[in-house]
Amino acid sequence: MTAEPKKILMVDDDADFSEAVSFFLEQRGYAVLRAQDGREGLRLARMERPDLILMDIMMDERTEGLFALQEIRRTPELKAVPVFVLSALYEKAPDFRIAPDSVWMAHDEFISKPVDLAVLLEKIRRRIGPQAPQEDPA
Amino acid sequence: MNEPGEQEVIVVIDDDAAMRLSCRKILAKAGYRVETFEDGAQGLEGVARLKPGLAVVDLKMPGLSGLEVIARVHQLDPLTVVVVITGYATIDTAVEAIKAGAYDFLPKPFSPEELRLIVGRALERRRLVLDSRRGEMERELLKRRFVTFVSHQLQTPLAAVHQYLSVLRQLEDLGEAGGRRREWIERCLKRSEEMQTIIRDWLTLARLEGDRLVRQCARVDLRQIIPNILATYAEMAAAERVTLEARLPEEAAWVRGDLNCLNVLFDNLIVNAIKYNRPGGRVTISAEALGGEVEVAVADTGVGIPPQYQEFLFDEFFRIRGEGAKKTAGTGLGLSIAKKIVTELGGSIAVVSEPGVGSTFRVRLPAWREPAAEEGRDGSAA
Repeated sequence: MTAEPKKILMVDDDADFSEAVSFFLEQRGYAVLRAQDGREGLRLARMERPDLILMDIMMDERTEGLFALQEIRRTPELKAVPVFVLSALYEKAPDFRIAPDSVWMAHDEFISKPVDLAVLLEKIRRRIGPQAPQEDPA
Repeated sequence: MNEPGEQEVIVVIDDDAAMRLSCRKILAKAGYRVETFEDGAQGLEGVARLKPGLAVVDLKMPGLSGLEVIARVHQLDPLTVVVVITGYATIDTAVEAIKAGAYDFLPKPFSPEELRLIVGRALERRRLVLDSRRGEMERELLKRRFVTFVSHQLQTPLAAVHQYLSVLRQLEDLGEAGGRRREWIERCLKRSEEMQTIIRDWLTLARLEGDRLVRQCARVDLRQIIPNILATYAEMAAAERVTLEARLPEEAAWVRGDLNCLNVLFDNLIVNAIKYNRPGGRVTISAEALGGEVEVAVADTGVGIPPQYQEFLFDEFFRIRGEGAKKTAGTGLGLSIAKKIVTELGGSIAVVSEPGVGSTFRVRLPAWREPAAEEGRDGSAA
């Protein structure tokens, strides 16, 4: 019954933001790994093979998250991992015209910051399954 | 060099089985991940799938020719570097291959050392291209979306505060917030202050537009304001274990400027020099008169600024990141403000920096001239 909790990797340079969100997700039964920049995020992604990645686009005032996303898509063993792209800047997925290969995949989502916790949780559950011991819908 | 899992992928396309095998052996031993293919069509499929950093392509193959393969590899990804190998190396084939987009050319037979060398060089070049493209692209984005960037700066702390509050509300209702509440309130306050600082800096920058500043100019003695600023930051420097030192001229160093702005200018430079220093380091401020100008140099013994970042340094919101860069709470506006002040005052600012050794910012400001002298500015020697 008690399966391993699903692993979520959160890549965000804002320690406060990721603390708040990861604490919330942990309370909902997920294991959350945190990285503060794209490079560290990639390293953790390759090492830990998370079930889902939350990736901030703008880190250190650059679009580092998009480069990290591109690298993730170039890594064969990470291709299938859904990536939720987060940004405080856009309401919908931005078009940066930087991706010759299809960086954006059907299982990816765009979520604006600050995140609506109920919406985030719902989207995560839909992708990688409910990890809520107390309220497991059939 | 390669971290585990960060192996560079190389595709080898050659119809000669012995050649494929030896390329694979040599390059795998050098730490690359190697995939080999026996003709152009399969090779291109491999390139599309593996997205290699480099492709080694035999020029003379049955089916698709090497030249065609090069062109198609670049259609898939213009940044994949191609090294060509061939048994009949003439100047003509080499030129043709390079025209088709090959990076370099290796005549058969070649030694393992030659192959490793050429592959290493080609990949190095790819890294350079990637780095500079990345820099250009980021700078372009920064310019194009300037207003957006300002909004992002303001939204980031606000998003953090909002997120803490929303998680607290959600979890409080369920009694799950645990001991986090107190700490999170503190952090919310901190982030609100951060936002105020950004708005303040942003306003400073906006107010520097126009000639208002120049009209406020008066005679200011640098020998007076610099020691005052140093005194203000003595505590901060002590906390960072950095020594402050001033080397000021014997006689007064009068410049034409606005007291407030000059304070902001040297504040920014000195705070940076302390912040980006190392424990046990030193900040030296010197001033000297050079003809019609006064030069102030603020030198630190800190991490330095990598050469590729130096030209962006005075751009709004530019901050260096990566190894050695500290996570600091700066707004990324300090140096743009400094540059703007100096420019408005008719001076100049420049930086000389060596990574690991330190940086020196040199500010040149017009020396004060009595209004009477100013009126008779015919340039002739008295």
